[in-house]
Amino acid sequence: MANGKLVVKIADMKIAAHGEELITYALGSCLGICLQDKISKLSAMIHIMLPINMEAGRKNTMKYADTGIRETLKQMEARGSRKGNIVAKVAGGAKMFDVAPGSSLGNIGKRNIDSVHMILRSEQIRLLAEDVGGSVARTISFDPATGMVTVKSYGKPDHLI
Amino acid sequence: MGIKNYDDLNSMEIDTLREVGSIGTGNAATALSGLLNRRVSITLPEVRIMGYNEAIDWIGGPEHVTAGVLVRISGDIGGIMLSVLPLEFVNMVLGCMLDNRVEEFEDMNEFQRSALVEVGNIMISTFINALSGLSGVTMDLTVPSLTVDMQGAILAVPMAEYGGQSDYLMTIGGNFTCDDYELPCRLLLSPEIRGLNYLLRKLGVSDG
Repeated sequence: MANGKLVVKIADMKIAAHGEELITYALGSCLGICLQDKISKLSAMIHIMLPINMEAGRKNTMKYADTGIRETLKQMEARGSRKGNIVAKVAGGAKMFDVAPGSSLGNIGKRNIDSVHMILRSEQIRLLAEDVGGSVARTISFDPATGMVTVKSYGKPDHLI
Repeated sequence: MGIKNYDDLNSMEIDTLREVGSIGTGNAATALSGLLNRRVSITLPEVRIMGYNEAIDWIGGPEHVTAGVLVRISGDIGGIMLSVLPLEFVNMVLGCMLDNRVEEFEDMNEFQRSALVEVGNIMISTFINALSGLSGVTMDLTVPSLTVDMQGAILAVPMAEYGGQSDYLMTIGGNFTCDDYELPCRLLLSPEIRGLNYLLRKLGVSDG
């Protein structure tokens, strides 16, 4: 779909080892988490769908905020990054449909945002910028060279975070 | 006992669900036909069990903007029913009902939006009524909600809802043709696993 870009799918994570741009499409209630080592510029993007991994065996690490972020940090550390140098930018967590209250699960987007905040705090990763919540989907691309994330939404001008 | 995951369904169960989908979409087509005063029929109904990214490819890519009408189901069976209405379909509906059309989704006014919600809602509730009538299960529906956005994010709603139970998205549904012209419109039912087991038992195909 994109030339020279690493596409991160749903419940997926990619590490850009040679400065390739990372992109993930149509984040609704899902969240895109961009992690970068400020020194080495090693960069990763995760596309998570749910806040907490409660599956037996905890496979599918990248489907969930908690296991997704922790596993990615581990892989970045295995490639020589120090956790203290890693910073984060986050986008997504929208509420796509305004369904009447009483729905059992409530707002998944909001719970995803809360979970990501909590995990980043407990891992002591600094959150540099975010564009979360609201009611519109987002496509995000992350340029490791600049550390900037472009957020694209339907019916809105692109903007950088 | 029942199934634990969507991909545990055997071929007889899938066939039964396909039949359910056929009756549901058939009823929805009749309702749509009355509403639009056109001949509406259904193409082959489908039961699909797809991985997340496979589902996004199936719907036609993540970023394409489309309208979605969503209804949440509760009662004996929990689930989400979505009616995915691309611009071409929207214009057909607006043309028949209001004698107008829009160039872009953004140009829709309140009146056109509510017409669209109503069409989505009628298709969904006729589908559910048919399903309820034939299986004897009770289902309650929420008020329909409309959104216009990237279809990947719309399809991610049922995925996220049952994402803790399964790595698959299951959909029962079909496409429509109107006056022999293929209409890009999809009606999708995504049941939760517990409700699906209950439905299969009620239909007499699961011994659990």
